[in-house]
Amino acid sequence: MKEIKILYLYPDMLELYGDYGNIQVLKYRIESRGYSVIIDRYSIDDDAPDFNNYDIVFAGGGADNEQSILAEDLIKYKDNIKDAIKNGVFFLLICGSYQLFGKYYKDVDGNIIPGLDVFDYYTESNPDRKSRCIGNIVIEVELNNFKTTVIGFENHGGQTFNISRPFGNVLFGNGNKFNDTQEGYFQNNVIATYLHGPLLSKNPVLTDYIIKYCLDRKYNENIILENLNDEFENLCREQLLNRFLK
Amino acid sequence: MKNFFIILAMKILNIILKIFHKNGGNLLGKIAFNWNPEILKYFKTNCPVIAVSATNGKTMTNNCIAYTLKNSGYKVVSNVEGNNMETGIISTLLKNCSLFGKIKADFLVFEVDESYIPIVFKDFKLDTLVILNFFRDQLDRNGEVESLILRINEFLKTYNGNLILNNDDPNVARLGQANPENLNVYYFSVDKYKYATENIKEAGEGKFCPFCKTKLEYEYYQYSHVGKFNCPNCNFGNNEIYKLATNIDLKNRCFEINDVTYNIKGNSIYLVYNYTAVISVCSLYNISTEIIRNSLSTFSLNNGRLEELEINGVKTIINLAKNPTGSNVSLRILNEDDDEKELLFVLNDNIADGFDVSWIWDINFDNLNNVSRIITSGTRAYDIAIRIKTSGFDSCKIEPYLDLTEAIQALYKTDIKKYVIANYTSLQPTRKQIKHFGGLEK
Ligand SMILES: [Zn+2]
Repeated sequence: MKEIKILYLYPDMLELYGDYGNIQVLKYRIESRGYSVIIDRYSIDDDAPDFNNYDIVFAGGGADNEQSILAEDLIKYKDNIKDAIKNGVFFLLICGSYQLFGKYYKDVDGNIIPGLDVFDYYTESNPDRKSRCIGNIVIEVELNNFKTTVIGFENHGGQTFNISRPFGNVLFGNGNKFNDTQEGYFQNNVIATYLHGPLLSKNPVLTDYIIKYCLDRKYNENIILENLNDEFENLCREQLLNRFLK
Repeated sequence: MKNFFIILAMKILNIILKIFHKNGGNLLGKIAFNWNPEILKYFKTNCPVIAVSATNGKTMTNNCIAYTLKNSGYKVVSNVEGNNMETGIISTLLKNCSLFGKIKADFLVFEVDESYIPIVFKDFKLDTLVILNFFRDQLDRNGEVESLILRINEFLKTYNGNLILNNDDPNVARLGQANPENLNVYYFSVDKYKYATENIKEAGEGKFCPFCKTKLEYEYYQYSHVGKFNCPNCNFGNNEIYKLATNIDLKNRCFEINDVTYNIKGNSIYLVYNYTAVISVCSLYNISTEIIRNSLSTFSLNNGRLEELEINGVKTIINLAKNPTGSNVSLRILNEDDDEKELLFVLNDNIADGFDVSWIWDINFDNLNNVSRIITSGTRAYDIAIRIKTSGFDSCKIEPYLDLTEAIQALYKTDIKKYVIANYTSLQPTRKQIKHFGGLEK
């Protein structure tokens, strides 16, 4: 049986906005098609994982104080992570982990918290603590030359700069910065984004893109995923796109 | 002089509101506050002030304390309508004070929003503070749980009044050490109940010791992160218990404290915690056990907090759930009931709910016990339908309706027992429509 292995990073710390839902949605859509899924969790004090052993690496967002603790921990795996990304392991990074994979995060007091430096972008917190990019967000993304909208919820104080290739163009909401036209960071096997919701729950096309990518890479074929009953997802998208974009 | 006129004006406004049968909510307080943000300092009272705070269960516990004190013959002023922010408390005081700001009562009992404790009681002397629990609640509005706890901890550093704390919630119990000089700290606890688990079943907060960062060890979890915990390193959690509820029998709706049996309306472990807090407060003020027993056996909120109704002969249980823990507690009650049942979940994303509904993914919908159908409604009917489907519940048995009236009609197509979970702004419309459907309200 075809199998997808997911590494879930810091589930006990990066779990602020229902991000675990992304794992549940992946599991649901993988298993509904008769494939199997293995979910391994890694957190501080656990044995070191080899990132190359996985098809998907997932990390969510957490509270600020916890984020600096795990930044220190994650940096131990910098070379292994870089290698895994180069080898094509899929990385899905939400909010705090999106920031963490960049060059640095500059906090409100001007302190620089070094990132993993895997990607070139960097994040600076907004000088006004109370002012955050919060709200529903809709972006347009292109996956395998196919344009689709992605719906989520953003809640971030950090403003992210120097994005070489965004995940999507903002149709509604803020994006990487206040009133930005761009959201997130994208490359073939990396999606780094501020979108909660959880991200995958309302975006089955995106979820299936990730699943297909992983199966194609692992089994060296061009798989056509079986259609699932997406009635609720489609109704949800129709309702929300009407509400936000009109 | 200015305050005198503010109060006079608000008294007149209150009379006008009454003529038009309007309650006004926290309107009076809002206007008065805008006029003078320091108005709280003007109110004078000689009686004890009791405050209740928590993420979940404030209204119920507050109202039950007020009810019990009233049953003892005391004059009690309380914000029983649940206006628990600063302006809500000012409103309650305005309605009950003389023109000179004097409040004549034997007790003031307030439910207070967690984030307003340091603000309200900066200027208003507090005799007893009760804290029940801290869970995640509408993070996009309040900020994170930890910063909230730290602010309350800061306030408590100089507080010397009675402090009644839930010893089974590490985030609450830690507050007992905020002021080591305060000798009036009382911890309450509830013994293990039938459905307590060895491992955490629902999303929770308190994982690490707040004092030494060691991972906390749990003997058992009652619900969410509430349970018998201990820090293996510094012994945090090992406090002397003032009131311990034992022999929890939810089926027969009773429990014991100091060999006295208390009967209650309702069958949730979470209610036992609220009522143990009520008993702790009342015994500090020497209310007789008999009056407390009578009060608990007759008290119910009937406003959608575990409200039990008969709708055209169909048993219906309605509960508010504005956060994961509230929902998980409702699902616990549902799962502890072996009867066949159907669930209605109403989810709105209005401003008072918090716009972000991602918290529904922290609700544990796994292995629902004998649920034959689920109806969803509210402005986020489809979001919650997707959530439930993803947990493994057969999607053919889920029916989403954006329109609440349609949802309720669909719900009562069968005469199977109903459980209704509704979030903040959807609760009252849902109650109203269900009652209307059942002919209980015009
Ligand atoms: Zn400790």
